[in-house]
Amino acid sequence: MRGVVQRTLALGLAMFLATTAVAQDRSQVIVVNKALHYFAERLLGDAAEVVFPVPEGADPSFWRPSIADISMIQSADLILLNGAGFATWIDRVSLPRSRIVNTSATIEDQFIVTESITHSHGDGGEHSHEGIASYTWLDPMLAIAQAEAIAAAVMSRDLAAEQDVEARLAELRSELTALDAMARDALSSLKGTAILATHPRYQYFARRYSLSISSLEWDAGAMPSQDDLADLERLATELDARILIWEAKPPQAAFKLTEALGLHSVVFEPGAGQGTPVSLFDAYRQAVSGLSEAARQSSD
Amino acid sequence: MIRALAVAGLAIAAPIGAAAHQLVVFASVDCEAVTVEAKFSNGRVTQQGDVRVLDGENNLLTTLQLESDGTARVALDSVDHTSGLLIEVDTGSHDNYWIVTPEDIARKCGS
Repeated sequence: MRGVVQRTLALGLAMFLATTAVAQDRSQVIVVNKALHYFAERLLGDAAEVVFPVPEGADPSFWRPSIADISMIQSADLILLNGAGFATWIDRVSLPRSRIVNTSATIEDQFIVTESITHSHGDGGEHSHEGIASYTWLDPMLAIAQAEAIAAAVMSRDLAAEQDVEARLAELRSELTALDAMARDALSSLKGTAILATHPRYQYFARRYSLSISSLEWDAGAMPSQDDLADLERLATELDARILIWEAKPPQAAFKLTEALGLHSVVFEPGAGQGTPVSLFDAYRQAVSGLSEAARQSSD
Repeated sequence: MIRALAVAGLAIAAPIGAAAHQLVVFASVDCEAVTVEAKFSNGRVTQQGDVRVLDGENNLLTTLQLESDGTARVALDSVDHTSGLLIEVDTGSHDNYWIVTPEDIARKCGS
Protein backbone atom coordinates (compact mmCIF):
# COMPACT_ATOMS: atom_id res chain seq x y z
CA MET A 1 0.00 0.00 0.00
CA ARG A 2 2.78 2.38 0.97
CA GLY A 3 4.53 1.58 -2.29
CA VAL A 4 1.42 2.49 -4.27
CA VAL A 5 1.14 5.83 -2.47
CA GLN A 6 4.80 6.57 -3.09
CA ARG A 7 4.50 5.69 -6.79
CA THR A 8 1.36 7.84 -7.10
CA LEU A 9 3.07 10.78 -5.45
CA ALA A 10 6.13 10.34 -7.63
CA LEU A 11 4.00 10.21 -10.74
CA GLY A 12 2.06 13.30 -9.67
CA LEU A 13 5.29 15.16 -8.98
CA ALA A 14 6.70 14.15 -12.36
CA MET A 15 3.55 15.33 -14.13
CA PHE A 16 3.61 18.62 -12.21
CA LEU A 17 7.23 19.23 -13.11
CA ALA A 18 6.60 18.33 -16.75
CA THR A 19 3.63 20.72 -16.92
CA THR A 20 5.65 23.48 -15.29
CA ALA A 21 8.49 22.94 -17.71
CA VAL A 22 6.14 23.12 -20.70
CA ALA A 23 4.54 26.31 -19.32
CA GLN A 24 7.95 27.88 -18.87
CA ASP A 25 9.04 26.85 -22.34
CA ARG A 26 6.03 28.30 -24.04
CA SER A 27 6.47 31.60 -25.79
CA GLN A 28 4.52 34.51 -24.43
CA VAL A 29 2.35 36.76 -26.56
CA ILE A 30 0.91 39.99 -25.18
CA VAL A 31 -2.30 41.48 -26.55
CA VAL A 32 -3.95 44.82 -25.84
CA ASN A 33 -7.59 43.78 -25.98
CA LYS A 34 -9.86 40.80 -25.64
CA ALA A 35 -10.62 40.53 -29.33
CA LEU A 36 -6.94 40.16 -30.17
CA HIS A 37 -6.66 37.68 -27.30
CA TYR A 38 -9.37 35.59 -28.92
CA PHE A 39 -7.80 35.71 -32.38
CA ALA A 40 -4.30 34.99 -31.08
CA GLU A 41 -5.47 32.03 -29.00
CA ARG A 42 -7.39 30.62 -31.94
CA LEU A 43 -4.34 30.91 -34.18
CA LEU A 44 -1.73 29.71 -31.71
CA GLY A 45 -3.59 26.92 -29.98
CA ASP A 46 -1.36 25.63 -27.20
CA ALA A 47 1.84 26.74 -28.90
CA ALA A 48 2.13 29.93 -26.88
CA GLU A 49 0.67 31.60 -23.86
CA VAL A 50 -1.47 34.58 -24.84
CA VAL A 51 -1.64 37.20 -22.10
CA PHE A 52 -4.09 40.08 -21.89
CA PRO A 53 -2.70 42.00 -18.90
CA VAL A 54 -5.54 44.45 -18.35
CA PRO A 55 -7.52 43.61 -15.19
CA GLU A 56 -11.27 43.14 -15.16
CA GLY A 57 -13.15 46.40 -14.83
CA ALA A 58 -10.44 48.50 -16.46
CA ASP A 59 -10.98 50.03 -19.88
CA PRO A 60 -8.11 48.61 -21.95
CA SER A 61 -8.06 51.73 -24.12
CA PHE A 62 -7.04 53.85 -21.15
CA TRP A 63 -5.51 51.31 -18.77
CA ARG A 64 -2.51 52.54 -16.83
CA PRO A 65 -0.07 49.67 -16.31
CA SER A 66 2.27 49.31 -13.37
CA ILE A 67 6.03 49.17 -13.74
CA ALA A 68 5.86 45.41 -13.08
CA ASP A 69 3.28 45.04 -15.89
CA ILE A 70 5.62 46.77 -18.31
CA SER A 71 8.59 44.67 -17.20
CA MET A 72 6.53 41.57 -18.01
CA ILE A 73 5.38 42.99 -21.35
CA GLN A 74 8.92 43.98 -22.34
CA SER A 75 10.04 40.39 -21.89
CA ALA A 76 7.33 38.88 -24.12
CA ASP A 77 8.17 37.19 -27.42
CA LEU A 78 5.51 39.11 -29.31
CA ILE A 79 3.40 42.16 -28.51
CA LEU A 80 0.25 42.50 -30.59
CA LEU A 81 -1.12 46.02 -30.82
CA ASN A 82 -4.53 46.89 -32.15
CA GLY A 83 -3.43 50.18 -33.70
CA ALA A 84 -5.99 52.91 -34.50
CA GLY A 85 -5.08 54.65 -31.26
CA PHE A 86 -6.21 51.78 -29.04
CA ALA A 87 -4.32 51.45 -25.74
CA THR A 88 -2.78 54.80 -24.82
CA TRP A 89 -0.22 53.18 -22.52
CA ILE A 90 1.84 51.91 -25.44
CA ASP A 91 3.03 55.48 -26.07
CA ARG A 92 4.20 55.89 -22.47
CA VAL A 93 6.69 53.09 -22.23
CA SER A 94 9.66 51.65 -24.08
CA LEU A 95 8.71 48.55 -26.01
CA PRO A 96 11.07 46.31 -27.99
CA ARG A 97 10.42 47.43 -31.56
CA SER A 98 11.36 44.11 -33.15
CA ARG A 99 8.70 42.29 -31.14
CA ILE A 100 5.83 44.69 -31.75
CA VAL A 101 3.23 44.05 -34.43
CA ASN A 102 0.48 46.52 -35.25
CA THR A 103 -2.38 44.31 -36.39
CA SER A 104 -4.20 47.10 -38.20
CA ALA A 105 -1.23 48.39 -40.18
CA THR A 106 -2.66 47.14 -43.47
CA ILE A 107 -6.08 48.70 -42.93
CA GLU A 108 -5.08 52.21 -41.92
CA ASP A 109 -6.68 53.60 -45.06
CA GLN A 110 -10.00 52.36 -43.67
CA PHE A 111 -9.76 54.06 -40.28
CA ILE A 112 -12.59 56.30 -39.17
CA VAL A 113 -11.79 59.75 -37.83
CA THR A 114 -14.00 60.78 -34.94
CA GLU A 115 -14.94 63.92 -33.10
CA SER A 116 -13.09 65.06 -30.01
CA ILE A 117 -14.24 65.13 -26.41
CA THR A 118 -12.01 65.07 -23.36
CA HIS A 119 -13.39 63.79 -20.09
CA SER A 120 -12.70 61.45 -17.22
CA HIS A 121 -14.38 58.52 -15.59
CA GLY A 122 -13.45 55.41 -13.66
CA ASP A 123 -9.82 54.91 -12.73
CA GLY A 124 -8.40 55.74 -16.14
CA GLY A 125 -8.01 59.47 -15.52
CA GLU A 126 -8.77 62.14 -18.05
CA HIS A 127 -8.93 60.94 -21.58
CA SER A 128 -10.57 61.70 -24.87
CA HIS A 129 -12.23 59.79 -27.64
CA GLU A 130 -10.70 61.99 -30.26
CA GLY A 131 -8.73 61.03 -33.27
CA ILE A 132 -9.45 57.62 -34.68
CA ALA A 133 -12.18 55.13 -33.86
CA SER A 134 -10.33 52.15 -32.49
CA TYR A 135 -12.79 49.23 -32.26
CA THR A 136 -11.77 48.05 -35.71
CA TRP A 137 -12.57 44.37 -35.16
CA LEU A 138 -16.30 45.06 -35.00
CA ASP A 139 -16.17 45.09 -38.79
CA PRO A 140 -15.58 41.38 -39.52
CA MET A 141 -13.65 42.21 -42.69
CA LEU A 142 -11.22 44.35 -40.71
CA ALA A 143 -11.08 41.60 -38.09
CA ILE A 144 -9.96 39.20 -40.81
CA ALA A 145 -7.15 41.58 -41.75
CA GLN A 146 -6.08 41.75 -38.10
CA ALA A 147 -6.20 37.97 -37.75
CA GLU A 148 -4.06 37.70 -40.89
CA ALA A 149 -1.54 40.10 -39.39
CA ILE A 150 -1.38 37.99 -36.22
CA ALA A 151 -0.94 34.80 -38.24
CA ALA A 152 1.88 36.36 -40.26
CA ALA A 153 3.60 37.58 -37.10
CA VAL A 154 3.30 34.21 -35.42
CA MET A 155 4.63 32.32 -38.43
CA SER A 156 7.51 34.67 -39.11
CA ARG A 157 8.69 34.20 -35.54
CA ASP A 158 8.19 30.42 -35.53
CA LEU A 159 5.87 30.62 -32.54
CA ALA A 160 3.69 27.84 -33.98
CA ALA A 161 3.82 25.36 -36.85
CA GLU A 162 3.03 27.18 -40.10
CA GLN A 163 0.58 24.59 -41.39
CA ASP A 164 -1.37 24.67 -38.12
CA VAL A 165 -1.59 28.45 -38.18
CA GLU A 166 -2.64 28.47 -41.84
CA ALA A 167 -5.41 25.96 -41.12
CA ARG A 168 -6.63 27.88 -38.09
CA LEU A 169 -6.56 31.14 -40.02
CA ALA A 170 -8.67 29.63 -42.78
CA GLU A 171 -11.19 28.50 -40.17
CA LEU A 172 -11.24 31.90 -38.49
CA ARG A 173 -11.60 33.66 -41.82
CA SER A 174 -14.52 31.41 -42.69
CA GLU A 175 -16.27 32.07 -39.37
CA LEU A 176 -15.82 35.82 -39.69
CA THR A 177 -17.14 35.75 -43.25
CA ALA A 178 -20.20 33.82 -42.06
CA LEU A 179 -20.66 36.28 -39.19
CA ASP A 180 -20.55 39.14 -41.67
CA ALA A 181 -23.13 37.51 -43.93
CA MET A 182 -25.40 36.88 -40.97
CA ALA A 183 -25.10 40.48 -39.79
CA ARG A 184 -25.62 41.90 -43.28
CA ASP A 185 -28.82 39.92 -43.66
CA ALA A 186 -30.16 40.56 -40.16
CA LEU A 187 -29.40 44.28 -40.15
CA SER A 188 -30.63 45.15 -43.61
CA SER A 189 -33.92 46.38 -42.16
CA LEU A 190 -32.11 48.88 -39.89
CA LYS A 191 -30.66 51.03 -42.65
CA GLY A 192 -31.72 54.60 -41.99
CA THR A 193 -32.99 53.77 -38.50
CA ALA A 194 -31.59 56.03 -35.78
CA ILE A 195 -29.82 53.99 -33.10
CA LEU A 196 -28.23 55.26 -29.90
CA ALA A 197 -25.30 53.72 -28.03
CA THR A 198 -24.16 54.29 -24.45
CA HIS A 199 -20.55 54.78 -25.56
CA PRO A 200 -18.83 55.50 -28.88
CA ARG A 201 -17.63 52.00 -29.73
CA TYR A 202 -19.52 50.98 -32.84
CA GLN A 203 -18.23 53.17 -35.67
CA TYR A 204 -16.81 50.33 -37.78
CA PHE A 205 -19.83 48.14 -37.12
CA ALA A 206 -22.11 51.02 -38.18
CA ARG A 207 -20.18 51.71 -41.35
CA ARG A 208 -20.04 48.07 -42.36
CA TYR A 209 -23.81 47.65 -42.16
CA SER A 210 -24.85 51.20 -43.11
CA LEU A 211 -26.28 51.91 -39.66
CA SER A 212 -26.79 55.31 -38.12
CA ILE A 213 -25.46 55.05 -34.56
CA SER A 214 -25.10 58.13 -32.34
CA SER A 215 -23.32 57.82 -29.04
CA LEU A 216 -23.52 59.00 -25.47
CA GLU A 217 -20.65 58.81 -23.00
CA TRP A 218 -21.94 56.60 -20.21
CA ASP A 219 -19.89 54.41 -17.94
CA ALA A 220 -20.07 50.77 -19.00
CA GLY A 221 -22.52 48.75 -16.94
CA ALA A 222 -23.38 51.64 -14.62
CA MET A 223 -26.78 52.94 -13.64
CA PRO A 224 -27.39 56.13 -15.65
CA SER A 225 -27.81 59.32 -13.66
CA GLN A 226 -30.70 61.73 -14.07
CA ASP A 227 -28.46 63.92 -16.22
CA ASP A 228 -27.57 60.93 -18.38
CA LEU A 229 -31.23 60.13 -18.85
CA ALA A 230 -32.02 63.72 -19.71
CA ASP A 231 -29.27 63.65 -22.37
CA LEU A 232 -30.63 60.39 -23.66
CA GLU A 233 -34.19 61.67 -23.87
CA ARG A 234 -33.07 64.81 -25.68
CA LEU A 235 -31.03 62.86 -28.22
CA ALA A 236 -33.70 60.20 -28.72
CA THR A 237 -36.28 62.88 -29.39
CA GLU A 238 -33.99 64.81 -31.69
CA LEU A 239 -33.14 61.76 -33.78
CA ASP A 240 -36.42 59.88 -33.31
CA ALA A 241 -34.39 56.92 -32.06
CA ARG A 242 -36.09 53.80 -30.71
CA ILE A 243 -33.11 51.54 -30.06
CA LEU A 244 -30.39 51.86 -27.41
CA ILE A 245 -27.21 49.77 -27.51
CA TRP A 246 -25.61 49.14 -24.12
CA GLU A 247 -21.87 48.52 -24.05
CA ALA A 248 -22.32 46.34 -20.96
CA LYS A 249 -25.35 45.05 -19.13
CA PRO A 250 -26.51 47.66 -16.58
CA PRO A 251 -28.64 47.05 -13.49
CA GLN A 252 -32.11 45.81 -14.48
CA ALA A 253 -33.67 49.05 -13.29
CA ALA A 254 -31.76 50.93 -15.98
CA PHE A 255 -33.57 48.98 -18.69
CA LYS A 256 -36.89 49.99 -17.19
CA LEU A 257 -35.93 53.66 -17.16
CA THR A 258 -34.89 53.67 -20.81
CA GLU A 259 -37.87 51.57 -21.85
CA ALA A 260 -40.03 54.28 -20.31
CA LEU A 261 -38.46 56.63 -22.85
CA GLY A 262 -39.65 54.34 -25.63
CA LEU A 263 -36.27 52.72 -26.27
CA HIS A 264 -35.63 49.04 -26.95
CA SER A 265 -32.45 47.90 -25.22
CA VAL A 266 -29.80 45.74 -26.83
CA VAL A 267 -26.61 44.74 -24.99
CA PHE A 268 -23.61 44.61 -27.33
CA GLU A 269 -20.36 43.90 -25.50
CA PRO A 270 -17.70 44.90 -28.01
CA GLY A 271 -15.04 42.51 -26.76
CA ALA A 272 -12.36 44.95 -25.69
CA GLY A 273 -12.06 44.28 -21.96
CA GLN A 274 -12.08 41.35 -19.58
CA GLY A 275 -15.26 39.93 -18.20
CA THR A 276 -17.30 39.40 -21.33
CA PRO A 277 -19.63 36.60 -20.26
CA VAL A 278 -19.89 35.04 -23.70
CA SER A 279 -17.35 34.55 -26.45
CA LEU A 280 -16.58 37.32 -28.91
CA PHE A 281 -18.54 35.78 -31.76
CA ASP A 282 -21.47 34.77 -29.55
CA ALA A 283 -21.71 38.32 -28.21
CA TYR A 284 -21.69 39.62 -31.78
CA ARG A 285 -24.41 37.21 -32.91
CA GLN A 286 -26.57 37.98 -29.88
CA ALA A 287 -26.22 41.72 -30.46
CA VAL A 288 -27.07 41.43 -34.14
CA SER A 289 -30.13 39.30 -33.35
CA GLY A 290 -31.13 41.73 -30.62
CA LEU A 291 -30.89 44.69 -32.99
CA SER A 292 -32.92 42.89 -35.62
CA GLU A 293 -35.59 42.03 -33.06
CA ALA A 294 -35.59 45.58 -31.67
CA ALA A 295 -36.12 46.91 -35.19
CA ARG A 296 -39.05 44.56 -35.65
CA GLN A 297 -40.59 45.61 -32.34
CA SER A 298 -40.14 49.31 -33.01
CA SER A 299 -41.87 49.03 -36.33
CA ASP A 300 -44.89 47.21 -34.82
CA MET B 1 -19.47 60.86 -14.63
CA ILE B 2 -19.90 61.97 -18.12
CA ARG B 3 -22.43 64.43 -19.33
CA ALA B 4 -21.02 65.31 -22.66
CA LEU B 5 -22.70 63.93 -25.68
CA ALA B 6 -20.62 62.67 -28.53
CA VAL B 7 -22.87 62.61 -31.50
CA ALA B 8 -21.05 60.31 -33.80
CA GLY B 9 -19.41 61.70 -36.83
CA LEU B 10 -18.46 59.09 -39.34
CA ALA B 11 -16.07 61.06 -41.48
CA ILE B 12 -13.87 58.61 -43.28
CA ALA B 13 -10.39 59.86 -43.88
CA ALA B 14 -6.78 58.94 -43.83
CA PRO B 15 -5.34 58.22 -40.41
CA ILE B 16 -4.15 61.20 -38.46
CA GLY B 17 -2.38 61.52 -35.16
CA ALA B 18 -4.00 62.24 -31.85
CA ALA B 19 -5.53 65.66 -31.49
CA ALA B 20 -4.24 68.82 -29.83
CA HIS B 21 -4.06 69.78 -26.18
CA GLN B 22 -2.55 66.57 -24.96
CA LEU B 23 0.58 66.54 -22.89
CA VAL B 24 3.26 64.26 -24.26
CA VAL B 25 5.80 62.94 -21.77
CA PHE B 26 8.93 61.06 -22.69
CA ALA B 27 11.79 59.88 -20.52
CA SER B 28 15.12 58.55 -21.68
CA VAL B 29 17.66 56.84 -19.48
CA ASP B 30 21.40 56.69 -19.42
CA CYS B 31 23.42 55.19 -16.66
CA GLU B 32 23.48 58.41 -14.68
CA ALA B 33 20.09 60.00 -15.03
CA VAL B 34 16.58 59.94 -16.39
CA THR B 35 15.93 62.86 -18.69
CA VAL B 36 12.28 63.83 -18.81
CA GLU B 37 10.84 65.78 -21.72
CA ALA B 38 7.34 67.23 -21.82
CA LYS B 39 5.59 69.07 -24.60
CA PHE B 40 2.11 69.54 -25.89
CA SER B 41 0.98 67.50 -28.83
CA ASN B 42 0.72 70.65 -30.94
CA GLY B 43 4.51 71.03 -30.52
CA ARG B 44 4.40 73.82 -27.94
CA VAL B 45 7.05 73.47 -25.24
CA THR B 46 5.76 72.86 -21.73
CA GLN B 47 7.47 75.65 -19.81
CA GLN B 48 6.38 74.74 -16.32
CA GLY B 49 5.01 71.80 -14.42
CA ASP B 50 5.64 69.39 -11.60
CA VAL B 51 7.61 66.24 -12.24
CA ARG B 52 6.77 63.55 -9.72
CA VAL B 53 9.01 60.52 -9.50
CA LEU B 54 7.49 57.40 -7.96
CA ASP B 55 8.80 53.89 -7.41
CA GLY B 56 7.27 50.54 -8.33
CA GLU B 57 4.99 50.65 -5.29
CA ASN B 58 3.74 54.14 -6.16
CA ASN B 59 5.73 55.76 -3.35
CA LEU B 60 6.69 59.32 -4.14
CA LEU B 61 10.48 59.58 -4.29
CA THR B 62 10.95 63.18 -5.31
CA THR B 63 9.28 66.11 -7.01
CA LEU B 64 11.04 68.40 -9.46
CA GLN B 65 10.08 71.36 -11.60
CA LEU B 66 10.28 71.35 -15.37
CA GLU B 67 12.91 73.66 -16.81
CA SER B 68 11.81 76.35 -19.25
CA ASP B 69 12.74 74.07 -22.16
CA GLY B 70 10.28 71.42 -20.92
CA THR B 71 12.89 69.05 -19.54
CA ALA B 72 13.89 67.76 -16.12
CA ARG B 73 16.78 65.58 -15.02
CA VAL B 74 16.50 62.94 -12.33
CA ALA B 75 19.90 61.74 -11.17
CA LEU B 76 19.74 57.98 -10.66
CA ASP B 77 21.87 58.14 -7.53
CA SER B 78 19.30 60.48 -5.97
CA VAL B 79 16.46 57.94 -6.02
CA ASP B 80 15.96 54.26 -5.30
CA HIS B 81 15.29 52.97 -8.81
CA THR B 82 15.49 49.25 -8.09
CA SER B 83 11.77 48.73 -8.72
CA GLY B 84 11.72 51.12 -11.68
CA LEU B 85 10.50 54.68 -11.89
CA LEU B 86 7.15 56.16 -12.73
CA ILE B 87 7.54 59.70 -14.03
CA GLU B 88 4.44 61.87 -13.81
CA VAL B 89 4.30 65.36 -15.26
CA ASP B 90 1.50 67.69 -14.20
CA THR B 91 1.14 71.17 -15.67
CA GLY B 92 -1.97 71.95 -13.64
CA SER B 93 -4.27 71.58 -16.60
CA HIS B 94 -2.74 68.50 -18.22
CA ASP B 95 -0.89 65.48 -16.99
CA ASN B 96 0.71 62.39 -18.38
CA TYR B 97 3.31 59.79 -17.44
CA TRP B 98 6.19 57.63 -18.60
CA ILE B 99 7.24 54.31 -17.13
CA VAL B 100 10.91 53.38 -16.74
CA THR B 101 11.38 49.75 -15.82
CA PRO B 102 14.40 48.30 -14.00
CA GLU B 103 15.23 46.57 -17.28
CA ASP B 104 15.28 49.91 -19.14
CA ILE B 105 17.87 51.16 -16.69
CA ALA B 106 19.87 47.95 -16.70
CA ARG B 107 20.05 47.96 -20.51
CA LYS B 108 21.52 51.43 -20.49
CA CYS B 109 24.02 50.49 -17.85
CA GLY B 110 25.20 47.48 -19.78
CA SER B 111 24.18 44.96 -17.15
